[in-house]
Amino acid sequence: MSIVGSIDEPSPPAESAKSPISRRTVLGAAVAGGAGIAALRVLVYPRVEQLLHSTRATAAGRSDWISPLASERAKVAHLLRRTSFGATLEELDRAASDGYSKTVDRLLETRPAAPPPLDPTNDFAHDRRLNVTMLQQWWLDHMLSTSTPFAERMTLFWHGHFTSDFRKVGLQTPYIYWQNLTWRDMALTDLRSMLMRVTSDPAMLRYLDLGTSTGQNPNENYARELLELFALGVGHYGEDDVRAAARALAGWTEPRPTGTVDVTVDAKNNVVRKYPVYDQPATGTFVANRAYKGGPLTFLGKKDTYDAQKVIDRILAQPATAPFIAQKVAQHFVSAKVGGSYVKRLADKFRSSKYDVKTLVREVLMSPEFVADQSYRALVKSPTEFMVHSLKALKAPQLSRLALLSAPGMGQVLFDPPDVGGWPNNEAWISSNNVVARVNFVTTALGQLKTLPQGTEAPQHIDGVVGPQTAGVLNSAADDHARWFLALASPEFQLK
Amino acid sequence: MTEEIGINQLKRRDFLQAGLVFGAGAAGLAAGYASVPDAFARAVYAAKSNGVTNNSVLVMIQLAGGNDGLRTVIPLQDPKLHDLRPKLAALSVDQALPLDADFGLNQNLKGIKALWDQGRVAIVQGVGYPNPTFSHFESIRIWETGDPTRRQIDGWLGRTLAQSYDSFGHPLTGCACGATDVPGALRDLQATLTVINNQKTFGFNGGNQVEAAVGALYKATPGIYGALFDTAMATAQDSIAKLKTSQASYQAMADYSDTQKLIYSSKNQLAAALQLASELIVTGTGVKLLHVTLGGFDTHYTELNRHDDLMSYVDSAVSAFYKDLSAHGKADNVLIATWSEFGRRPKENASGGTDHGAAAPLILIGNPLKGGMYGKAPALTDLDATNNLKYQVDFRSVYQEILGGHLGADPKEILGAAYDKLGFIKNPVGSF
Repeated sequence: MSIVGSIDEPSPPAESAKSPISRRTVLGAAVAGGAGIAALRVLVYPRVEQLLHSTRATAAGRSDWISPLASERAKVAHLLRRTSFGATLEELDRAASDGYSKTVDRLLETRPAAPPPLDPTNDFAHDRRLNVTMLQQWWLDHMLSTSTPFAERMTLFWHGHFTSDFRKVGLQTPYIYWQNLTWRDMALTDLRSMLMRVTSDPAMLRYLDLGTSTGQNPNENYARELLELFALGVGHYGEDDVRAAARALAGWTEPRPTGTVDVTVDAKNNVVRKYPVYDQPATGTFVANRAYKGGPLTFLGKKDTYDAQKVIDRILAQPATAPFIAQKVAQHFVSAKVGGSYVKRLADKFRSSKYDVKTLVREVLMSPEFVADQSYRALVKSPTEFMVHSLKALKAPQLSRLALLSAPGMGQVLFDPPDVGGWPNNEAWISSNNVVARVNFVTTALGQLKTLPQGTEAPQHIDGVVGPQTAGVLNSAADDHARWFLALASPEFQLK
Repeated sequence: MTEEIGINQLKRRDFLQAGLVFGAGAAGLAAGYASVPDAFARAVYAAKSNGVTNNSVLVMIQLAGGNDGLRTVIPLQDPKLHDLRPKLAALSVDQALPLDADFGLNQNLKGIKALWDQGRVAIVQGVGYPNPTFSHFESIRIWETGDPTRRQIDGWLGRTLAQSYDSFGHPLTGCACGATDVPGALRDLQATLTVINNQKTFGFNGGNQVEAAVGALYKATPGIYGALFDTAMATAQDSIAKLKTSQASYQAMADYSDTQKLIYSSKNQLAAALQLASELIVTGTGVKLLHVTLGGFDTHYTELNRHDDLMSYVDSAVSAFYKDLSAHGKADNVLIATWSEFGRRPKENASGGTDHGAAAPLILIGNPLKGGMYGKAPALTDLDATNNLKYQVDFRSVYQEILGGHLGADPKEILGAAYDKLGFIKNPVGSF
């Protein structure tokens, strides 16, 4: 494969009409960027125009991107990058003609497209066991083909927040599959009902052991993570609160199956096991005689006779809850560094909307902070986002299996987070191991494709805003294969 | 083991003099490495002339999730254990491999018991820190940074790399094996680190052309992550080049196969990770500080089988690693130390498991050790207000001796204070 010709030979100039970002837009953006943003060369494909040379160093001695976010199209591209898995150029064209706020409305108000049912061989008729590889590919395929990718982004966000893994939940029941359906269904609803659905979710009952806890001898696992990771954050509760919550929450158990079926798990030795059967997705069951019967408990400073709903309501009465969730959402969508006043503003709105997540996300997406120059490329794509965006850009949804196989080497396997904290983010995705794994994904994907979209499309997936190195190699790329490789393997494409 | 000369001859000192380093400092770190200065964007490895010059190697094994100390080093004579753990205690005690009159190892730690019998194992009892947190993430961070006050951001091994090795002129001095991102213990803005998930896939598909192209792409990358991208790519390229020369001369002399098919955690490649560690050590790449992780220790439920499986898994992987190093004549240089964010609650819960606890024993393995028991096991009859074991030895006492006695680094410089001495290193190379 020939990737790079001589960097000194610029390619012929493009017809400017084809360029999505005009020279004027870029200059305007640079001016709007203000003093803090050092200027860089900007690529107007396929020719680098060295528009500005004042690469004034930032405090850390490093130049920064010129944010193109003054342009409506770039703003829409930024929005889709962060709320979808990137966008095809057709999707971007459509959204750009709708405009930014109409696109936000469409993202938030369109009912999520339901994923197709799992493959028939994976629906428990076969051997009554989930096939986790097929489950993972089912979700990746849906991410690649859905008309509502925002729903998948939100489902993935909650999968990382209210996390569970297939290893502990197991595959003898459909619980982990149901959880994915539930998280998609509840993604933009209110936190109060969400926390109740999380508490009684069968996979969660197993993952954090509430399903086997009793009031007499509580298992603290779920109570602690509900407080620490799901709703309140460390520092806003004490060990006594963990103990009280563990007692108050006990009694929820896994749903009772509607029947059992004999499954031969080992034909050679004639080992048959009874596997549970469920007519339809179910939630946990409350069993009163497993609950705490010791009377009132003091939880988060208030003495009361608590059950799960009252525990959740007490958590929602804490001033720290709204900022905790608002900050996590803002850090996910806007920037790793979000200011205290911004979080407070979002949290106030979230609280006054009765913890309506759709209101919170709308507030984030419509906030000036979301499209501020400092937010441009301030987040690193997770491996899933990177791979799905790559395959969408290449119009190659058939390569979902490659994404599936490449995921472990990049550190993000669906239904298999590293621990109860979910996945790490941003800088954790940039290690020596991970940059190699991402480059290899692009090499392999391109190697498996007989035809590629026009190479001129490639730079549009990075807004046409590139650093001098990327501009140099892209301009001297020998062919479309090389252009796609360089665009998708570039540091620019790893960011969102 | 030969020490390599710096790939480029720049010294960290030169950058310090040029005033280029750390305008960002701790604030930059807090922002998640958002402003790594340019001086470090090119994997600047500088041999530190007054730094450490011995051949000692440290391998830290993280038992992630909180390992149950009471099922690892088991009190054999304490009736209280049976009161607290009606489901978990009896079998553990009956099957334990006795170390002395009072304590036995988990029955699945057979290989480690054999090494104990040869005087190659040191067990430090009752390791913890004041005012323990029961959050995984808080406690992991405390162990990683060596700072229970939560002010320190850099990892204790990362600081060691930066302050005592300065990466020795090549990127593999500190390496996380079997991981995809940098573990907190190794993290330091000034340290160059390699992360290798799997050596078979750690290389560029497509060969030199691809490597040259990405080398050109990842230079002077703008933006807050720019230096991190450039450093990661340069480190990867240098490490891959180094591994190419080393792979030819390594042959495993032990069976590392992960036959147990452990499924409790996605972080389950302990044997493969230790084999990579062995390769890096045996082939003289100059590795000093290695880190591997095994997950699955958060045994809130059905702990009996799960924890036994985990013990068995640790035992077979560590035994193979030790055997391999011995066969290659490297065992005298290598200290293996396990760590976990906390032990578990003495009292079992309704799920047949145990909740988050505090103090626990810590097992060290290797020829540099004076085998035996250190520290003091906390009494089961004297629990703290949260019904947890009271720590007897500060974990930084262990770090201090590893740093000073084994690695020959300056523990005070790295830990910021002095801690009680334990004496598990046979022939300390330096003071501590």
